[in-house]
Amino acid sequence: MVQKTVQPERLPPQATMGLLDYLTTHTLDEDYAFVSDRRATRDAPAPQRRIGVFGALVMVVFAILVVTAAAQTSRNSVSDERQRQELVVQVNQARRQLAAENARLVALRAESAVLETRQLRSDTSSRGLRDTIHLLGIKAGTLAVRGPGVRVVADNAPGADSARNEVLDSDLQKLVNGLWEAGAEAIAINGQRLTNLSTIRLAGGAITVNARSLRRPYVVTAIGNQDTLPARFAETSSGRAWLDLQREVGLRLSIKPVSSLRLPGAEVFLRYANQKETGGGAS
Amino acid sequence: MIAVLGLVVGVVLGLVLTPDVPLAMEPYLPIAVVAALDAVFGAFRAFLDGIFDDKVFVISFISNVLIAAVIVFLGDKLGVGAQLSTGVVVVLGIRIFSNVAAIRRHLFHA
Repeated sequence: MVQKTVQPERLPPQATMGLLDYLTTHTLDEDYAFVSDRRATRDAPAPQRRIGVFGALVMVVFAILVVTAAAQTSRNSVSDERQRQELVVQVNQARRQLAAENARLVALRAESAVLETRQLRSDTSSRGLRDTIHLLGIKAGTLAVRGPGVRVVADNAPGADSARNEVLDSDLQKLVNGLWEAGAEAIAINGQRLTNLSTIRLAGGAITVNARSLRRPYVVTAIGNQDTLPARFAETSSGRAWLDLQREVGLRLSIKPVSSLRLPGAEVFLRYANQKETGGGAS
Repeated sequence: MIAVLGLVVGVVLGLVLTPDVPLAMEPYLPIAVVAALDAVFGAFRAFLDGIFDDKVFVISFISNVLIAAVIVFLGDKLGVGAQLSTGVVVVLGIRIFSNVAAIRRHLFHA
């Protein structure tokens, strides 16, 4: 304003100053100064410096704006939360449905097993067939088994911080191979029965068996001769490899004989490997 | 004081009526509030400076709110709405801070 009256040819401050400097020095609307200057030059009789009705009205509008914005924001967050809750409910519903269907599947399987047993028991010649099926189920890992054996607990080195001193999938594979070699007849890892289709692999940082992720410590239960299994395991190449792992990396391994173990059966789904319908071989 | 009275009346009105903001206006409301906040702090400072003027206050309030909303609206149409609102908030924030600093100097002489 001053420049305008004194030196009209000078550039306005916003052109000569940096934007940020201008912002910080001209924070007040220049109109206030302009109007009050004009009043002073005109010698207005009673400069109105109080807040009038219009100012109060603007304050009302301002307060309504602020309250509305705040109410809107909180309402939006409430509706977001409600949507989240709805999704959670849907997910839970789907999960419950899945569980119910799984339970139905298990029940139907059990029923079909019972019917199969009844059918085969009806005549003596097929009793042998039933026993064969049972034995094959135990061998394949689809039937639960009970018997003496060993419980092997494998865990990372104390304070493990890298893959070097953690139990890897290859270590567990070695352990399982050694146990098979030592004469184990059925093996489960953390309750996951190993079948002829089982894999032990690393998936996303976790060891996965039968497509289930496991947490450490890894408890490997093996049914077999509880007296000879530990010694024979130590003699296998896998046993020696684990001895090295214990000594050099610090992995923990404990083998304890257990007089009675129960291993669950695993679900095995075959989609493609169908037997021929006319094939005479026992399934 | 009539301004405080107006503020209280506005808060009560807003709480009682809880006006529904049309969906199209929703993104501009926060920016409008920041612009209004700047106008109000500017007016308070002018009041303390002794150069307050009712008409200037009304005009600066309305034009602040409208311009802020229009800038963000234009930005939305051009695809730079978020950046432009950041710019508006930065500029108005600087003004609010220095106005509040001036008000502090007036009130506490510090």
